[in-house]
Amino acid sequence: MKVAVLGVGTTKFGELWGVSPRALVREAVKEALIDANLKLADIEALYVGNMLSGILGRQENLGALFAEELGISCPAFKIEGACASGGLAVHNAILSVLAGIYKTVLVIGVEKMTDHKPEEITSALMGAGHDEERAAGITFPGLYAILARAHMEKYKTTEKDLAAVSVKNHYHATLNPKAQFQFEIGLEQVLTSPIVAEPLKLLDCSPTSDGAAAIILSENRKQKTENRKPVFIIASMVATDTLGLAGRRNLTSILATVKAAKKAYQTAGVSPTDIDVAEVHDCFSIAEIIACEDLRFFQKGKAAKEIIKGKTRLGTGRPVVNPSGGLKACGHPVGATGVKQIVEIVTQLRGEAGARQVKKAKIGLAHNVGGSGAVAVIHILKND
Amino acid sequence: MISPVKVWRHQKEIAFLLGKKGKIISWTLIRVPPAGYERETPYPVVLVELEKTKRLVGQLVDWQFKDLKIGKRVKAVYRITRQPDSEGVIPYGIKFKPI
Repeated sequence: MKVAVLGVGTTKFGELWGVSPRALVREAVKEALIDANLKLADIEALYVGNMLSGILGRQENLGALFAEELGISCPAFKIEGACASGGLAVHNAILSVLAGIYKTVLVIGVEKMTDHKPEEITSALMGAGHDEERAAGITFPGLYAILARAHMEKYKTTEKDLAAVSVKNHYHATLNPKAQFQFEIGLEQVLTSPIVAEPLKLLDCSPTSDGAAAIILSENRKQKTENRKPVFIIASMVATDTLGLAGRRNLTSILATVKAAKKAYQTAGVSPTDIDVAEVHDCFSIAEIIACEDLRFFQKGKAAKEIIKGKTRLGTGRPVVNPSGGLKACGHPVGATGVKQIVEIVTQLRGEAGARQVKKAKIGLAHNVGGSGAVAVIHILKND
Repeated sequence: MISPVKVWRHQKEIAFLLGKKGKIISWTLIRVPPAGYERETPYPVVLVELEKTKRLVGQLVDWQFKDLKIGKRVKAVYRITRQPDSEGVIPYGIKFKPI
């Protein structure tokens, strides 16, 4: 398969109290259209990735809402799959293009979280959890803490190993002007930050964020913008697993990631060692360690020690993981994340990432997860 | 609102689990709770394997820090799971107790 990414755009991610969801979307879409050198009239369908608009904002009808806001009249859909909503929206948009139904489609990912207090957001996010987990009063940090504890027990992963993921991602974010946290943090700072759900601390966790991202996909393989390498999505795979952790036999791996990755590598005809740059779903530090193993960048149980040595850091590692700063430091407006990951990979593969450019990046991967691993979406992109 | 119908339907599954024994597979201690659980914070949530078959996630009650370890034996008990709302329906469910 081969679908062209003609244009990309994102807002700054962060605590954007002065900006409405509508304004976020307008900004991201405007940037993507200019980038693609296209007009709104060229868009034949609209896919919106979002998780919390219903539960936090009491508005679910986002397809029509954002079509209205943009002033276009076309088929429009809201796609929901917890924190993988953005990736699933991209996947569905790709399917419609591959089916030959629409030629050029717009994908938006958007989330507005900081209007609400932490307990409300924590509770709303648990909308993606199992009933039994909700009744137990567990939170998403808590679910990933259970995975972390199991990983630490089996592979002797330490709290310092976890902290090293956040330290690296904060360093990358200093090079990304759109990131929420453009400052460095140290290992000691992570280790002494307040505990959210043992063993995960505040600085092991991605933040609550506002933000939007947009991409324009097309069967058209010719970029309208001159002097630029076109970027293609060459695999888009989705897999699911049980909603709750109690249904899983293995707590040190995310089976949905393993399954989707295997199919994606096969479809793209590439192997894990071919990946130059990856955006992975580091909603918590432990999630990036598990992802790097499940995506087969490193052997099972070995990723933590490689990450702490700088093997995924810009300048010293390959593949470079989360050059945008990841969910941890670029920010995690949940519905926007899966789309933003594609924006970052496209920017890298075009060679337009500036200070955070991964040298000679040809093949990139985006890994988006929903729930505690109930859904995984993998995209592989290539620059010719 | 906690739906009374939902509570009633859920009760049928609980009787089967009461008193069953198992061990902790993994655990966490929640310090930042979701809405409705603020009063109990901090509280441990454990993933338990019951009699080597069924796995369940639930809160640990009557606990001490020494109980928070993988392999610790626990028993399923009946407890109020969250604060009742204005409808007055009290939601009960399974929690675990160290043995």
